[in-house]
Amino acid sequence: MRRFGQAISAARPRVVAALAGRLRDLDLAEDAFADACASALVAWPNQAPRDPAAWLWRAALRRAIDAKRRAAVRDRAVLDPPEPEPTPEEALMAAHQPIPDERLKLIFVCCHPALAPDARAALTLKVVCGLSTERLARAFFMAEPAMLQRITRAKRKIAGAGVPFEVPAREAWPERLDAVLATLEIAYAQAYEDAALAAGDIAPFAAEVLRLSGLLVELVPEEPEVLGLAALVRFAEARRPARLDDAGAMVSPSEQDAALWRGDLIAEGARLLDRAADLARSGPRQILATIHATHCARAETGFTDWPAIAALYEVLAQVRPHAATAVNRAVAVGEARGAEAGLAELAKIEGVEDWLPYQAARAALSAKAGRREEAQDAYRAALALEPAAAERRYLEAQLRRCAQRL
Amino acid sequence: MQYMILVYEPEEAYATADGQAKLKDIVAKHMALAAELKAQGVQKDGGGLQGTETATTIATNNGQQTLHDGPFAETREHLGGYYLIDVPNLDDAIAIARRVPVIDGGKVEVRPLIVH
Repeated sequence: MRRFGQAISAARPRVVAALAGRLRDLDLAEDAFADACASALVAWPNQAPRDPAAWLWRAALRRAIDAKRRAAVRDRAVLDPPEPEPTPEEALMAAHQPIPDERLKLIFVCCHPALAPDARAALTLKVVCGLSTERLARAFFMAEPAMLQRITRAKRKIAGAGVPFEVPAREAWPERLDAVLATLEIAYAQAYEDAALAAGDIAPFAAEVLRLSGLLVELVPEEPEVLGLAALVRFAEARRPARLDDAGAMVSPSEQDAALWRGDLIAEGARLLDRAADLARSGPRQILATIHATHCARAETGFTDWPAIAALYEVLAQVRPHAATAVNRAVAVGEARGAEAGLAELAKIEGVEDWLPYQAARAALSAKAGRREEAQDAYRAALALEPAAAERRYLEAQLRRCAQRL
Repeated sequence: MQYMILVYEPEEAYATADGQAKLKDIVAKHMALAAELKAQGVQKDGGGLQGTETATTIATNNGQQTLHDGPFAETREHLGGYYLIDVPNLDDAIAIARRVPVIDGGKVEVRPLIVH
């Protein structure tokens, strides 16, 4: 059964995309695919298909066309003469042709900038990757009905507003591709956060984002930012096995046991980043991936090149200014040039007092500088900002350590 | 598919002498865009609206209609004009909406018409 489950997940993007392209209806495509999967789980144990994707495509298409015909008959009441018969043959004809590759179009539809960014991320993970509404609700820290509503609203807008099922025109490409990348970034950020919460349960979610970023590389191999994002996800994901200690507390990146990091993912990330570099068009995702690569290099060199990381954050801050970049830069400066220098950088950032990463950074830098009162104050402020369980355990342990030394 | 492009602009932006000069420029751009869209057969209708001081609102509450002097909502941006276009999809509609001239602070909304 597990083998079949994997075959179904692997086939899903291609089959659902082809169905969506043909039916021009995301709901119908998803329903037809779900029906086909249910039939597959009955039929496959007796006779495993040679090509699971083709099997699912044929089964789903037949179902969808049946459903469409039934709906048409129902809606039309008795006024029109009955439909002539060719539709099932048409369906079969189409079913015996190779599955059209509509995956990129489907991704562009789900990541359309006319949809709200959070809705795009949820919709893409639902439609392309097949994550359940319940799973998405947990990952996005939302109640399930709210998540369902978000997805339903996005689908309704796609259908109602006439979002085209097309790969965007050349002049719109940069903006549209950026919307896709931003969507994947949100999805990965959720997967990453999620990971810290419940270690046993996260792998599927992060694995889907990993796969999705790899799929995008396959579909648009010449876009350096796509390569950069795929690399970034791999470097970050490589460190997952070392992110929590035995007690379920977060381990800060510089204290993680590098022997636990996944060398296969680091190597894959490095290859992707090399390919991006060959295309010689830099961008924020590539810079961020390079920062991650620099962290991962510790597995080989035994030390972290903090001056390089601080310099990369400096570049990133210019390309894409963001509070997170400024905070991370201050932390890197704190490691490269001393805690006081880091605190000085941190003090320049405005309007972040109620932001957990800022307080956590201030706490760590203050502790490192020997300013224990300030460190405790910042740890308490951070804990008051409702960190996830793993980070809370970490912050509590740091606070205790700080207090004992006083 | 038919789309309504609604043009919202801060009303006071045209009040100054400088604003009047900008208005002349923007109106000329509207004319040029409308002429182009009409020639392509894309524009079905369109027009500019007089100021909100000329607006009358009819409110219905509990089945009773009452007339009010002024626009339905007192907002900084008011509806200044519209285009009604017929294009294949939202991307084409957005591409045209991006070309609609507005004064700084203006907003352009794209809304599909109900399909019958």
